[in-house]
Amino acid sequence: MPFLLLLKKIKEVISLDIKNNKYYKLWFKDPITYVMGAVLLSIFQIVTFAVTGNPWGVTGSLANWGAWILELFGGSVDSWSYFSTKSAQATLKSGFLNDPGSIRNLGVIFGALFSTLMASQFKIKKIKSKKQVIAAILGGFLMGYGARLAYGCNIGAFYSGISSLSLSGWVFGIALFIGAFLGSKLLVKYFM
Amino acid sequence: MKEVVLDCLGEACPIPLVKAENAIKDLSAGDVLIVQIDHSCAMKNVPEWARKEGHNVEIEEVDDGEWEVIIEKA
Repeated sequence: MPFLLLLKKIKEVISLDIKNNKYYKLWFKDPITYVMGAVLLSIFQIVTFAVTGNPWGVTGSLANWGAWILELFGGSVDSWSYFSTKSAQATLKSGFLNDPGSIRNLGVIFGALFSTLMASQFKIKKIKSKKQVIAAILGGFLMGYGARLAYGCNIGAFYSGISSLSLSGWVFGIALFIGAFLGSKLLVKYFM
Repeated sequence: MKEVVLDCLGEACPIPLVKAENAIKDLSAGDVLIVQIDHSCAMKNVPEWARKEGHNVEIEEVDDGEWEVIIEKA
């Protein structure tokens, strides 16, 4: 009976084995290669420069997030020398929604969430030891504080520095390498 | 033939890789090392290292965001 055949066909399409679908694997499941990632980063940092007028950065906006959170609780950063420049004050005044870096950072967070959900690889990892907590807090503090002292992180100071042909990017890179070397020694010493 | 399970769940890179490198030293050819990971970059660097060393490698996705890298020492 043709009707039954049609029904069978519809059922086949609906129960399409998405896990083994070629295009699902290509776009959502399998990680892109390092080279592909590098090419995409290069393209998007040019786009970000053209659209916002500033090179790509991450942690500068995070410092603003801190300032805004402090203001929510009635605090003020107006007297802090870090926020004393005219441009820093202007960014703080115009708010979260008018700060391209903040919106981009949201994009990074939700983009990462989206891709891990699409690959069905989302997992809340359990904390294994107190050491992990201490290392995470200490590492986060050092990275955040260091990035503000250096006026940039591995993106703003290193990646964007080198891609705008600035010597400072290379200086940052050397310091980054030394830091990573010492960090991996500490890692092996305390986590193995 | 020995089978050793290495629990690296909750460990960030490069700890699973270093642990796997250390663990395989105590094994002899034909033994199997199963590295349990839930950090997606370990899914890349652990098999990459093991294949470069000439071992047989298989990756199994055991749960959402959880993998077992099965390494047979060559």
